[in-house]
Amino acid sequence: MLILDCPNCGARNTQEFRYGGEYNPRPAEPDAADDAAWSSYLYMRHNRLGLQKEWWYHRAGCGLWFLAERDTGSDKVSRTYFWSREQIP
Amino acid sequence: MTEAVSADKMRRAAPAGQLIDHERSFIFTFDGKPVTAHPGDTIGSALARAGVQILSRSFKYHRPRGLRCCAGHCPNCLVQVGDEPNVRACLRAAQQDMVVEAQNAWPSLRRDALSLTALGDRFLPVGFYYKTFIRPRALWPAYEWVLRHAAGLGRVNADTAPATYDKQYLHADVAVVGGGPAGLSAALAAAQQGARVLLFDENGELGGHTRYKEIDRTAFGRDWGLEINDMQSPIPNLDIYTNTTVLGYYPHNYLAAVRGNRLFKIRAASVVVATGAYEQPLLFANNDLPGIMLGSGVQRLLHLYGVLPGSTAVVVTVNDDGWQVAHDLWRAGATVSAVVDLRSAAPTSQAAAFKEALEGAGARVFLDSTIVAAAGKGAVQEAIIAARGVRGGPTDGGSTRLPCDLIAVSGGWAAANELLYEAGAQIAYHESQGEFLPHALPPGIYAAGRVTGSHSLQSQIKEGREAGSAAAAYCATGKVQENFAHAGERREESAPSVEQDAHHSAIVTDGNGYENVRQGKRFVCFCEDVTDKDVRTAIAEGYRSIELLKRYSTISMGPCQGKMCSVNAILLCAHANGWSVAETGTTTARPPAKPVSLGVLAGQQMEPVKVTPVHDWHRQHGARMMVAGIWLRPEHYGDPTAEVQAVRQRVGLIDVSTLGKFRLTGPDAPQLLERLYVNRWQKLSPGRVRYGLMCNDEGVVLDDGVTACLEPQEYYMTTTSSGAEAVYEWIQWWAQSGWGDGVHVTPVSDVYAAFNLAGPQSRAVLSRLTPDDLSNDHFPYMHVRQMQIAGVPCRVLRIGFTGELSYEIHCPAGYGQFLWEALLEAGADHGISPFGVEAQRILRLEKAHIIVGQDTDALSDPFAAGLAWAVKLDKPAFLGRRSLARVSEQGPALRLAGFKMENGAPPPAEGLQIVQPEGDGALQIIGHVTSSRYSPTLQEAIGLCWLPAAMVVDGQPFTIRLDDGRLVQARVHEGAFYDPKGEKLRT
Ligand code: FES
Ligand code: FES
Ligand SMILES: [Zn+2]
Repeated sequence: MLILDCPNCGARNTQEFRYGGEYNPRPAEPDAADDAAWSSYLYMRHNRLGLQKEWWYHRAGCGLWFLAERDTGSDKVSRTYFWSREQIP
Repeated sequence: MTEAVSADKMRRAAPAGQLIDHERSFIFTFDGKPVTAHPGDTIGSALARAGVQILSRSFKYHRPRGLRCCAGHCPNCLVQVGDEPNVRACLRAAQQDMVVEAQNAWPSLRRDALSLTALGDRFLPVGFYYKTFIRPRALWPAYEWVLRHAAGLGRVNADTAPATYDKQYLHADVAVVGGGPAGLSAALAAAQQGARVLLFDENGELGGHTRYKEIDRTAFGRDWGLEINDMQSPIPNLDIYTNTTVLGYYPHNYLAAVRGNRLFKIRAASVVVATGAYEQPLLFANNDLPGIMLGSGVQRLLHLYGVLPGSTAVVVTVNDDGWQVAHDLWRAGATVSAVVDLRSAAPTSQAAAFKEALEGAGARVFLDSTIVAAAGKGAVQEAIIAARGVRGGPTDGGSTRLPCDLIAVSGGWAAANELLYEAGAQIAYHESQGEFLPHALPPGIYAAGRVTGSHSLQSQIKEGREAGSAAAAYCATGKVQENFAHAGERREESAPSVEQDAHHSAIVTDGNGYENVRQGKRFVCFCEDVTDKDVRTAIAEGYRSIELLKRYSTISMGPCQGKMCSVNAILLCAHANGWSVAETGTTTARPPAKPVSLGVLAGQQMEPVKVTPVHDWHRQHGARMMVAGIWLRPEHYGDPTAEVQAVRQRVGLIDVSTLGKFRLTGPDAPQLLERLYVNRWQKLSPGRVRYGLMCNDEGVVLDDGVTACLEPQEYYMTTTSSGAEAVYEWIQWWAQSGWGDGVHVTPVSDVYAAFNLAGPQSRAVLSRLTPDDLSNDHFPYMHVRQMQIAGVPCRVLRIGFTGELSYEIHCPAGYGQFLWEALLEAGADHGISPFGVEAQRILRLEKAHIIVGQDTDALSDPFAAGLAWAVKLDKPAFLGRRSLARVSEQGPALRLAGFKMENGAPPPAEGLQIVQPEGDGALQIIGHVTSSRYSPTLQEAIGLCWLPAAMVVDGQPFTIRLDDGRLVQARVHEGAFYDPKGEKLRT
């Protein structure tokens, strides 16, 4: 079991969290996305070995979603932070 | 030897076992015969003292097996204790009146009928699972019976009273695994630096190998920690857990350990692995005979329990350890007839002194020699010794036969490196030591002692101190300290010391020399009865990689999990393939590192359920409760059919407090609703209610419910009971990643109780409790009103899942039971009946209303589910729009449809397949049933099912295959079964 640093509550066991998958931003204009781009958003994931940006939800805590940057090989979590318009292109 | 004689002989000159209270004794039984034990004895030590040599029968060939390691590292001593199978006799403390029985022996231990398998091992070739018992398939039940009886390991009593298991969380700066000299030194060093330290050891007391060896404990200074066993006042920041086995290492320094019925979950900033090593057996013919023990096993019996396991011993060794074993045996009164050292040079230093003493006592010494075979019936009677040839095997020259009743084997050490593997350490084979040792350790993980290949007490203590200091420094700073950067790593091939200059590998790898010796099986894996011949056969058959070899031969997959065999298997595999050990690789170490009972892992039965504010009333009124998601809900109150009739004809009341409920406030609340639901919301004015259908971006139905507009900027959303939590997380996700501006979402599911008052007389009942105007004009269908009911402030939604005039009443949870009772009382004259989930399911099915998750699955879109009317593709961006636009063009392949059974057939079970008979009698599966019930209103069986879209035409016949293979007929029914126009709802 990993330890995750909820940006609101601090370090907790992953048991308190729900994993939300790879960060996979929704196309800003879904209607403008062609079928390939849309199906890649829906179904394709990178399944990286290495640093991955991913969603976590503090289910048994503050009820906030946040992003974590985790090395999927070593499970080292280098950063956790809330989504913000500024940070996301 | 006979038991009576040997028991006497062994008692003679037995050394004082340090754990034993010789003054007192008691009796337990083994296979029905009484055995005397002393307090401090294990089952195994008491049996050894009594001269019982056969403890078990082997897994495949049912060969007799006896004590080997006395440390829980091998499979030989597994016994049944009362109802508990697979107890290690060498570890479990003997108790008065304990009933111990042998396992895997039939009809008895000494006369095992199945050991006949040893006569014809053609029947049990390597990979026999895969080869022998496959065809013909029809015979599998017979094979299975035979195998289950032949291959059992213990028996489980299903009636055993459940024991209590619990768990405990522990936290530390430094967790030290292993309380031998290295672990103890590490724990003390870390504690002295102020770290909070936890020390775990699977034995009853600390000390590791110093417990069973004659060591001058003060020779290395008093501060290395052994005296901790005698300490009265413990060190405050050091907690010691003895009898505690660490089972595994998990990410972020999470350890699982078990003591008795308790599971420990341990989180530490840093971990020191000082788990020691397993002494290894040697490969020779009949190397599994009872009476052949590991040197360390002999020492444990001598020093811990005061048992001399034989009177005439041959000691075979690859290192100095064996010389000490021989010396210990001699001092304890045994005759050491020979010491066989595989090394060519005579031992030096301390071992040289042992040699001198032993030779003085008449022991023969064979240098550069090996053991070729053991012989004996039921137990060892002879050791056959020969000089080693150039390749390490015996020469073809003469051999020496030495009568003996004990062969002590010191075959070298295999590092107990499971935890290090699991922690991600790089481990490499070190030729000079013949051991797999840590090469690079992850930050915060340290190793010390035998697990790093250090076999002298001095180096173990030194390494332990270093590792403990390094770990404490790491926790204090969160960084690896330069000066300790490589504590516990073995990067360079250190020059072999005299103590460890030979090892079992040289012996095992050179099997060629043995080929001519046909005197019996040479077991590599004792648990699974795999011989070197099996390994060679498997490799010849193409199972060359070590991982394949393991799975095919089952080598290292037995109860000891490879502690006795995996190193030898790797070496043998390397040799047979002509590979280096590095090329051969290792198999993957996975937790648990030691056996653990499933009860410990299962822990306590803790499945929390939620109950509604009316729960007590339900229980008191005969409700049969059912688990629905995390809720306990009334399934019915005795007669669901009567409950349906009450709702259809009069009035009923159901507790729907389990619904998910959310309050949405703020100017942009309507916009969030627009994005979350496929319906339109902008025009929903205060006082109105709308059904909402929620999809994900794939266009798959997630949830449904109704949402009421209370004020221009205030909405009250309900979801399905089971979807409440997931919907909340879903909404939060979107709200917290860009769609949350101007809206606030508050979960209020548990804040309100909710009841549905349904039936033609519901208005009459409700009007008794409120002065408000309930007329259809004033409070029409799909509207919401705030009103006082029986004096309780309520929010009432006029909606109808059941198909009748009905009011969904939400009130503060604290008033729940009061209001429930008030409603029932007010309805008494009208023949009101409470109804449960079952009646509601029938009622909604009569209306062909779907239940998301039961009638839909992860592929169901609204068009296919008959909810196309809810999808507003002309409204801008909402979740699912992009995909639903596409689906609407293509049209669904399958559709959800209502059906009625033909010929008065009963309802088919939910989940049954809908089939299309083909010409050749074969059946093609074309759909399945999702809901079905007998409708008391229609007096026939109805349901919902998925069918090819083209077949969804009113009256279309189709075929359902029942569980027993019979085919029954049904017909598609379009629309609701009851009140298809929905007039009753609106009256
Ligand atoms: S003798 Fe008990 S496990 Fe080896
Ligand atoms: S000896 Fe136990 S698994 Fe091979
Ligand atoms: Zn939190």
